[in-house]
Amino acid sequence: MTLFLQFLLTGIVTGCFLVLATIGFSFTRRVEGFLNIAHAELLGVSAFTTWGLNKLAGWHILPSAAVGIIVTAFLGLAIGRIVYDPIRRFGPAVLLITSVGVSYAIGGVIDAVIGTGIRTLDIPLATSYRFWGLRITDYQLLVVALAIVASGSLALFLNKTKTGLAIRAISVNPELAASRGIDVQKTSRATWLISSGLAGLAGVMLSVIATLSTDIAFHQILQILAVAILAGLGSLYAVILSGLIVGIAMDVSVFWIPAGYRPLIAFAVVILVLLVRPQGLAGSKSS
Amino acid sequence: MSDAILKVEGVIKNFGGFRAVGGPDGLTFNVPRGGFLGLIGPNGAGKSTTFNLVSGVLKPSEGRVVLEDKDLSDCKASDIAGLGLARTFQTPRAFPSLTVLENVMVGVSHTNEGPFSAMLGNWRQSDGELREKAQAALAKVGLHGHEDDEVGNLSGGELRMLEVARQLVREPKVFLLDEPTAGVDPTLQQKLASLLADLHAAGTTLIVVEHNLAFLLNLADRVVVLQNGALLAEGAPDEIRRNPDVVAAYLGADHEA
Amino acid sequence: MIQSLLLSTLMFGALFSVLSISLNLQYARGGMINFGTVAYFAAGAYAYAIFTQEPPSGLDQYAFGFDLPWWAGFLAAGVAATLFALITGWPTLRLRGEYLALTTFAFAEVLHSFLLNERRIGNGSVGLANVERPDLSFFGLDEQIGYAVAACVLMLVTAWLFNRLLASPYGRLVDATRDDETAAEAVGKDTTRTRLQVFVISAIPIGFAGALYAMITTLVSPALFTAEITFFVWIALVLGGERTILGAIIGTMALVFFQELVRMIPFESVRSAQIAASVEEVLTGVLFIIVLRWQPWEKMKRRKGA
Repeated sequence: MTLFLQFLLTGIVTGCFLVLATIGFSFTRRVEGFLNIAHAELLGVSAFTTWGLNKLAGWHILPSAAVGIIVTAFLGLAIGRIVYDPIRRFGPAVLLITSVGVSYAIGGVIDAVIGTGIRTLDIPLATSYRFWGLRITDYQLLVVALAIVASGSLALFLNKTKTGLAIRAISVNPELAASRGIDVQKTSRATWLISSGLAGLAGVMLSVIATLSTDIAFHQILQILAVAILAGLGSLYAVILSGLIVGIAMDVSVFWIPAGYRPLIAFAVVILVLLVRPQGLAGSKSS
Repeated sequence: MSDAILKVEGVIKNFGGFRAVGGPDGLTFNVPRGGFLGLIGPNGAGKSTTFNLVSGVLKPSEGRVVLEDKDLSDCKASDIAGLGLARTFQTPRAFPSLTVLENVMVGVSHTNEGPFSAMLGNWRQSDGELREKAQAALAKVGLHGHEDDEVGNLSGGELRMLEVARQLVREPKVFLLDEPTAGVDPTLQQKLASLLADLHAAGTTLIVVEHNLAFLLNLADRVVVLQNGALLAEGAPDEIRRNPDVVAAYLGADHEA
Repeated sequence: MIQSLLLSTLMFGALFSVLSISLNLQYARGGMINFGTVAYFAAGAYAYAIFTQEPPSGLDQYAFGFDLPWWAGFLAAGVAATLFALITGWPTLRLRGEYLALTTFAFAEVLHSFLLNERRIGNGSVGLANVERPDLSFFGLDEQIGYAVAACVLMLVTAWLFNRLLASPYGRLVDATRDDETAAEAVGKDTTRTRLQVFVISAIPIGFAGALYAMITTLVSPALFTAEITFFVWIALVLGGERTILGAIIGTMALVFFQELVRMIPFESVRSAQIAASVEEVLTGVLFIIVLRWQPWEKMKRRKGA
């Protein structure tokens, strides 16, 4: 039973990480209207920038992480402006396929610069806390805390600030929003900065809780897609719920079936959900 | 009215909490074989929804539609079309990546239409015959000479005629037309009127939704008037013209709009 | 040197052209985004290996080996791809656009995960080595040339059949179904059936290509069948102009040539080879973005040269 609870607890941490990794992706989907496969590569960019500054340049982890996130946010903005904006008129399918090309480009650059091998950050070893026979490390707690803070601030931002409300207006009806005098350029800039910044944050977390290798982004996109499909590619709350569902399902499944199937569980959940509810968990409201 | 080809029996359609068609008791009317029924009513009366319910694009919430003694409740739209029911849409629909002629040829079914006979069989000869049929149908609606045009180059009225031609080649038993004269120039309208009269004379059952009452009441032999999804009146065109309820509801609403 | 470059380009180019021709039918004409292409390829390759290999013995972990002749394995590959397309297509085809893309992608990942973890299928991550291949010396051909010819034959047969399919009345039905399902149903066409037919039919040659791939490499293992193959074929299709069969073939040949060329360069160290591979990846990605951005082939009429 304790073992089961331990898997459950780890599942919640995994879920929180998936929430961090997916909210930016899902946010792009909602506002820009397409699936940005290259989102996962941004996690890699942030993770390896942080690693480079921390390990190679010898910076402290905090400034390294901050620079990593900022670099990622602006890289995301630049890609949005240079690559995606000009082809928006071709529709979401072409944007989706283009983002595969962007993935290749970013992934190739990371490969060329970093090379193969396993990397770790120069940070103190994790401290474990024990309670009721369960273990959790301080870094895992940090992931949970950051997931809560990040989704909470995004919700506040979208509901309370002027730019946030403008973004929501655009995601519901771009033409109407433009005709009401909302600055589309400005809100789109904010969207790219926020979603890429969130990818950056998730990348830093990844480098803290896991070891890094250059194929990391590809493994992440599988799980991000799983969470996003499950959430119905829509609301923030649905992303949180499905992130937790996928994370817990993956880790708890190890209790019964071989660990090799862990990634498969994410997709099994997705396929089941789509077969029953083709619009995802949150789809019923819109139809 | 014993020989009704199409029966609408107590049909109700709700969208969420809103009842689009049916009124309190459900919508009921019959269309006799070979009849020409005009379906009129103010905007939002549920005419197009009724067409969608009959043709299977929508399923009734309650009640049923019967075509030649066959209950259509469990039929897909394509099955219903296969039973000999044809329809046009209020906003004309076309296949933009096909030429005008090909748009019509999609309407005719092939004897060997499966993918494997397409790859391995000989379809060239029968396809040539279809081509001639399709050309004839285009000529009937006044689109001859446009065979190889892109659909995107047609006017709104021509698109409507294209849709009529696509259904015409299928030689339907029951033909539903949704506002066939909207956006169609007077010359084509006359062509359409004589086409409908010919079809009627040849025994095709016609149901036409139309705002152009002058056009419709000269052709139809029976008229059903809808208001708020319910039957307001039913009768011969002359009775309908004189019916004070219809005049009030119809003209009143039209003046508002 | 040049000769072997051209030969392997021809062999793998023709082989992967079968995939891009099929994808052309599914996407450019059928309007379905399938991001699980590799799954049908893997299904074909594994089916071929399992049907032709000897029954398990010694350290083998796989459960089935039927020791049948190569042609039986080849047919089994087609059947396996068909079955997998039916299993994945039937429930997912009511999904549209990106949902279909993601679900097919998910199915491919599920298959990959099974091949990796379920050792009874094909020894898990080790895969099945020494896959049987037909003896081509009968024709007096060099092995490599023989398989290049076989790949070209498969490509040409697929291209010919699909070209006929699309030029036929059925091709019109496919176009009509993609353009406007409601209007197609209004003239009595069962669009759900049409979509499923297109989905399954385009998977069959992919399965055959998988069998041929297994013969060429004499190895099937999960590492050979990753989502990279799917993306590779998508990129090839887009490079070729995504609308015509000829375009699909040219795009694939060009991309394979490019990769084989990079592979030919002799490298001093592992690191420089790795950098070259990464640069190749970047260039592929950038080329892909540029083609989609300016769509130089978009203006060409779909029919011309199809």
